[in-house]
Amino acid sequence: MEKMSRVTTALSSNTISGRTMFCHLDAPANAISVCRDATQVVVAGRNIFKIYGLEEEQFVEKLNLRVGRKPSLNFSCADVMWHQMEENLLATAATNGAVVTWNLGKPSRNKQDQLFTEHKRTVNKVCFHPTEVYMLLSGSQDGFMKCFDLRKKESVSTFSGRVICFSCLGSFYVTCNSKITEGWLATGGRDKMVKVWDMTTNRAKEIYCVQTIASVARVKWRPERKFHLATCSMMVDHNIYVWDIRRPFIPFATFEEHKDVTTGIVWRHQHDPHFLLSGSKDSTLYQHMFKDATRPVDKANPEGLCFGLLGDLAFAAKESLISSDANRKPYPGGDRRYPIFFFKKPDPTEQFAHVSSALSVFETDLDSNRMDWFVKTAQLYLLSGKPFAELCDHNAKVAQELKRPQVSTTWTMLRIMFSDPANLTTPGPNHNLSKLGTLPLMNSFSMKEMGSGMGTESRLERSKGDSRQDNIHLEPGNSHISNNNEENEETEGSDGQAEYMFGDAELDDDDLYSLPTSVPEYALPQEAFQLRHEIMDNPSAPEHLQQDKADSPHVSGNEAEVTCLTPIESFSLISISQPLYSPHLPASFFCPIVREMLSYYAEQGDVQMAVSVLIVLGDRIRKEIDDLTQEHWYMSYIDLLQRFELWNVSNEVIKLSTCSAITCLNQTSTTLHINCSNCKRPMSNKGWICDRCHQCASVCAVCHHVVKGLFVWCQGCSHGGHLEHMMNWLKSSAHCPAGCGHLCEYT
Amino acid sequence: MFVARSIAADHKDLIHDVSYDFHGRRMATCSSDQSVKVWDKSENGEWHCTASWKTHSGSVWRVTWAHPEFGQVLASCSFDRTAAVWEEIVGESNDKQRGLSHWIKRTTLVDSRTSVTDVKFAPKHMGLMLTTCSADGVVRIYEAPDVMNLSQWSLQHEISCKLSCSCISWNPSSSRAHPPMFAVGSDDSNVTYGGKVQIYEYNENTRKYGKAETLMTVTDAVHDIAFAPNLGRSFHVLAIATKDVRIFKLVPMRKESTSTGPTKFEVQTVAQFDNHNSQVWRVSWNITSTLLASSGDDGCVRLWKANYMDNWKCTGILKGDGSPLTGSSGQPTAMSTVVGSSVQTSQNALNGMSAGRYFFPPLDPPRAGTRYGHLLPPSSLIEHCDAEPIQPQPQALPHRLSSRSLLPLPEAEGQ
Repeated sequence: MEKMSRVTTALSSNTISGRTMFCHLDAPANAISVCRDATQVVVAGRNIFKIYGLEEEQFVEKLNLRVGRKPSLNFSCADVMWHQMEENLLATAATNGAVVTWNLGKPSRNKQDQLFTEHKRTVNKVCFHPTEVYMLLSGSQDGFMKCFDLRKKESVSTFSGRVICFSCLGSFYVTCNSKITEGWLATGGRDKMVKVWDMTTNRAKEIYCVQTIASVARVKWRPERKFHLATCSMMVDHNIYVWDIRRPFIPFATFEEHKDVTTGIVWRHQHDPHFLLSGSKDSTLYQHMFKDATRPVDKANPEGLCFGLLGDLAFAAKESLISSDANRKPYPGGDRRYPIFFFKKPDPTEQFAHVSSALSVFETDLDSNRMDWFVKTAQLYLLSGKPFAELCDHNAKVAQELKRPQVSTTWTMLRIMFSDPANLTTPGPNHNLSKLGTLPLMNSFSMKEMGSGMGTESRLERSKGDSRQDNIHLEPGNSHISNNNEENEETEGSDGQAEYMFGDAELDDDDLYSLPTSVPEYALPQEAFQLRHEIMDNPSAPEHLQQDKADSPHVSGNEAEVTCLTPIESFSLISISQPLYSPHLPASFFCPIVREMLSYYAEQGDVQMAVSVLIVLGDRIRKEIDDLTQEHWYMSYIDLLQRFELWNVSNEVIKLSTCSAITCLNQTSTTLHINCSNCKRPMSNKGWICDRCHQCASVCAVCHHVVKGLFVWCQGCSHGGHLEHMMNWLKSSAHCPAGCGHLCEYT
Repeated sequence: MFVARSIAADHKDLIHDVSYDFHGRRMATCSSDQSVKVWDKSENGEWHCTASWKTHSGSVWRVTWAHPEFGQVLASCSFDRTAAVWEEIVGESNDKQRGLSHWIKRTTLVDSRTSVTDVKFAPKHMGLMLTTCSADGVVRIYEAPDVMNLSQWSLQHEISCKLSCSCISWNPSSSRAHPPMFAVGSDDSNVTYGGKVQIYEYNENTRKYGKAETLMTVTDAVHDIAFAPNLGRSFHVLAIATKDVRIFKLVPMRKESTSTGPTKFEVQTVAQFDNHNSQVWRVSWNITSTLLASSGDDGCVRLWKANYMDNWKCTGILKGDGSPLTGSSGQPTAMSTVVGSSVQTSQNALNGMSAGRYFFPPLDPPRAGTRYGHLLPPSSLIEHCDAEPIQPQPQALPHRLSSRSLLPLPEAEGQ
């Protein structure tokens, strides 16, 4: 680092080296200035006026110019300037309006040279002419700018205060080192903007504008860098920013050392871009090395990513990241904090300047829209209004059609578990469905009840390992579309095996997931005889009891049909036609399993299933699950439904829920204001009978019956009726069906 | 399969954040050019910019939507040390006709002394609350006591995290069993000490937020953090973007009713992937928390999904500009060059076939019957995507397995 800076600065006559360092001042600084050879810096403030030497490792106080027993206000400096040609000459702007020059060559302790007291108010700025040795310019809050000739005792010319740079009572400051080569002028002001003007033409033209977060106090062009300038602000913000004016939004570099407002900044040497000196109200004088600066852009996030509701992804990224791999910097080798003077290829300055982001949305294509299943399921599920068994069947079918065999199976199982056997009147579907339901049942049973023979885990592992048999179990779920379709079952092949199982984003390297391509020989016909034949071959095992229990409700309904499907590994889980135990297992027997199953669904992100089952099962399961969990599920599901704007479903769920916290969702802050359709007066809140005309207010204007369910009415004439009737009516006529002549409006 | 639709964002500098609204029909982007843009999805699926305005006087780091129950409300935070709340004004008929909407600033939150790095609304059930975190390590929680008056926000909590904060995420769980909880990530670059992710929880008794957990294993700068949507789970899942993608599971330990301290969590590292092979900038969960997307300095979006055993796998890579993924980008070194080129070839073939706009997540299992099937690498190659996921502790297994084995038919989620 040091070497590099030496090399770069070798261009100028002397070599500068150093490090980031600071020293404490006795008092807050107002301004600083360096001498031409960059070895000394003068610090001026209300109560300080000192010269420090800049050494390799530290600041060394060289001279205190604030001498004399009686402190004069002339020492109270707002600005200071070191003459860039005359090494001994300094000028200060005093807060009492005096402009003072100092000659360091004077032998006496008091170096004050000349005193100009022409300004009426505080002088903000002094500046030597860069080429004319004796010319000194000052700007004051009195609105005037004066030019002094140091050889005379007075100003040689006075400019009206309405000169652009000193307007607004000196709130604009002009950098004294405006780019001569470019003819550019940078201004910063209270409007929190730094503007760069092109002065080469007759009319100054604004060519760049940098927005800062606070009023700008000082602006200094960075030496040797065409587009860089440093700023500090006069309040709020204590940092020093170096901007690349081509990218006016993010500072190129930041120096954050100061604890209070930075009042003076100066580049140490006019040909060295790596050293910046600053003085601050926190009474410190800093030398900043550019390599130690923080780079806000490194912390700035170059990417944005968000998942949409339907599984689409919005992605915004810096173009250089996504366009080519050349610019990629691997982590952590590619240090992004290269100092600017490490002139690597490509030039980091250039990289910094031209940056933009590309925004794109990755949409799941319509066929496999990732959340479609949720919406459809929510809409098609029946949660109430039918006998329990029918609800389960219906929902199983819905799940089946949406290619969600596991869910479908679960519904079927639930029906079997909780149905009253007497209600089973449709043996056909029962049979098929029971087959689907068998596997999970068996698993759960073997786990729960089979303590003697085999540990749960080993049992599980083996069942996993045996993919062939798993496959058998999966098979019926796959192509089983209609419930009563024996033919289909017998002829089903391996078509589409892979399709139902895997989502777009699924890997199939797990045992349980992998489906061998061989067509499983299994096909269970509905005819009882074949099935029984199979059974005959199998020895009976203790597990039968359990198995039998599981399916007993069904078995009792249809004796001839056997419920067990296939052996799972060494256990030949078959059922016996005569139940050994009473077929009427109490439903509560299954509750722990169902509870676990619901938790499983919830943990898998399918809270829809958990809530739907909860509602359909109702009292059968409610007591098993603690209220907090139930409420949590309900809330989550309702939130999801509302996201998808499925208001009706959401409302239904709220209505059907048994949690008090949920049901009250519908009852809070919903007010209905209605007019009686007869007398057109506002109704009181007591039911649907009008107080005045004592008639039912909710009579359908089309069919003249009392409306129950969805009621729609015109806010203009208070007439309305069944939603469907009104929709039909309005197709043919725009007038009110009640004959009142009103042109009804419905939105 | 994803279709990339690129949008001419026309931001003049880097875009730092994109955010979908609650219903997924609107999108907000924010950029260093100090502006925020709002995009609306039209009937045919096109995104149109309906509003673009200057929000701050510095880079806008993040933008986020409030729950629509509170209106069309956005919050933004910026380098200029402020956060701002914006509301869309309806009824401006002229603007509406031109397809533009008008947003006005409701408040500016000026408490921070440094850059405000993230802003998030708290979950809806907590009311209208806004959280900011700033580079000086302070998290501030504001509340609008009157949801109809968005110009009044009171600073409710000020929590000092000691470390420079870069991101914040609320636990979205609405369960009463889960006290309000948020996680803060720090982009402090000093790797010698860990704990770059801290989790704070509200204590009902003290009415203050207290630190519940510090993830000491996270030692690198964290750039994004996201709690998975909690749809009725008893535990929490947290994704972290640091030098790699990490997924943590926080299982609340059963709490004695008498204890007043914060909930103790059993922290499990569920997965850790360095497939981006570079800094990871963003993580985002899908709505059912079954899919995690991450983006890194490699310019790719990677999708992660857990199988039924809670093993997380990479299931897709999306390249930002829709160009084919080259073998070198992000593939672990274990993969031979032959494999790499074969993937590439198949990719190229795919892209050539579909005019460059379609691409197939290359690691999908081949699907029988699709015309892409034969172009994809054999399934044996799929292995290469798996970074070794950290297995959960064995003692955690029995319960999990027992609940799993009940329903061993894994379901293809959301086909």
